[in-house]
Amino acid sequence: MSVNRTPAVNRLESCTIAACHESCALEVVDALLQATGSVRGEEVDALLDLRWLLHRRDDAEATLALFCKLRLAMEERHYLSLYRLRRWLENHLLLSIRPPGGTREHTVPVKLDRYCPEAVRARCLYCGLSRGELTGAGRAFFIFRPRSTRAVPVQTAASAA
Amino acid sequence: MVRFGKAVENAPLALSAGGGIYSAMKTATATAAKSKTDTRMVDALNQVLADSYALMALTHLAHWNVEGPDFFELHKAFQEQYEELFEAVDEIAERVRALDAYAIGGLNKLAGTAGMDEFTSPMPQKDYSAALIVAHEKVIDDATRARGLAGEINDLESQDLMIKRLEFHQKTVWMLKSSLK
Repeated sequence: MSVNRTPAVNRLESCTIAACHESCALEVVDALLQATGSVRGEEVDALLDLRWLLHRRDDAEATLALFCKLRLAMEERHYLSLYRLRRWLENHLLLSIRPPGGTREHTVPVKLDRYCPEAVRARCLYCGLSRGELTGAGRAFFIFRPRSTRAVPVQTAASAA
Repeated sequence: MVRFGKAVENAPLALSAGGGIYSAMKTATATAAKSKTDTRMVDALNQVLADSYALMALTHLAHWNVEGPDFFELHKAFQEQYEELFEAVDEIAERVRALDAYAIGGLNKLAGTAGMDEFTSPMPQKDYSAALIVAHEKVIDDATRARGLAGEINDLESQDLMIKRLEFHQKTVWMLKSSLK
């Protein structure tokens, strides 16, 4: 049984960084949580944890690890929802590569065509290294894309009042 | 001869009702108002045209590159879908022309206006269906807006066209979703 489409899910479809609605992934998770009967108890717990991580947006490593775990468990029953989340994460995550010696950090896009976070990391790392810009990697970790590309309205003291 | 006679016959009636000049002014005002709203309608139709064209290209790509155990069924289904879309883009473009405007075209312009996430092959068989659902849902959103606008401005022909488009896209989403279960 798949999750019904919601208006928020529509926004996810054309999810480019500049236009993406911040909470669209959250709403896919919410739709999954509402699909009672086709989501198991432990999956509900994991979905709630994922929701919190997506809301906080400060731990990309944990977010990706939990997504991969849920993908393995739920993809057969909820392919479309997991596809939407996968596309959202691909649009919002980067692999940050720090070369040895602490020189300038490089980032590469994340392609979630593997089910294990380490396999995803290895593939992204390979893509980064094969560009020829890097000669080695001291450390490689997932990060969320910065939010600077989105226009955030400034709240003045007057409007807040 | 008959037509002339009828016009002469009707003219005094309109004037005698006191509505001759007034009616003409009213008609002119209504025409001006219609041409204003038509711009919005044309934009909405051109958006659906761009979406449909982009979706047709994606469906064609899926038709060529899909692989896996359901290859024959999906290959055939995708062909039926892009053929239907090919006819649809022509119909939508001709509706734009019927509104005395120009249809948008050119691959860059269409892709830019549609703003759809493109996919690259190879990818898992189910991803083709999922990606196309996502693209169909984009068209549904824009066609729904166009249908609403057409109703608002009483452009029933455009509304009818959008209803037909929505029927196709909703049915296709249902079929693609079913293939994912």
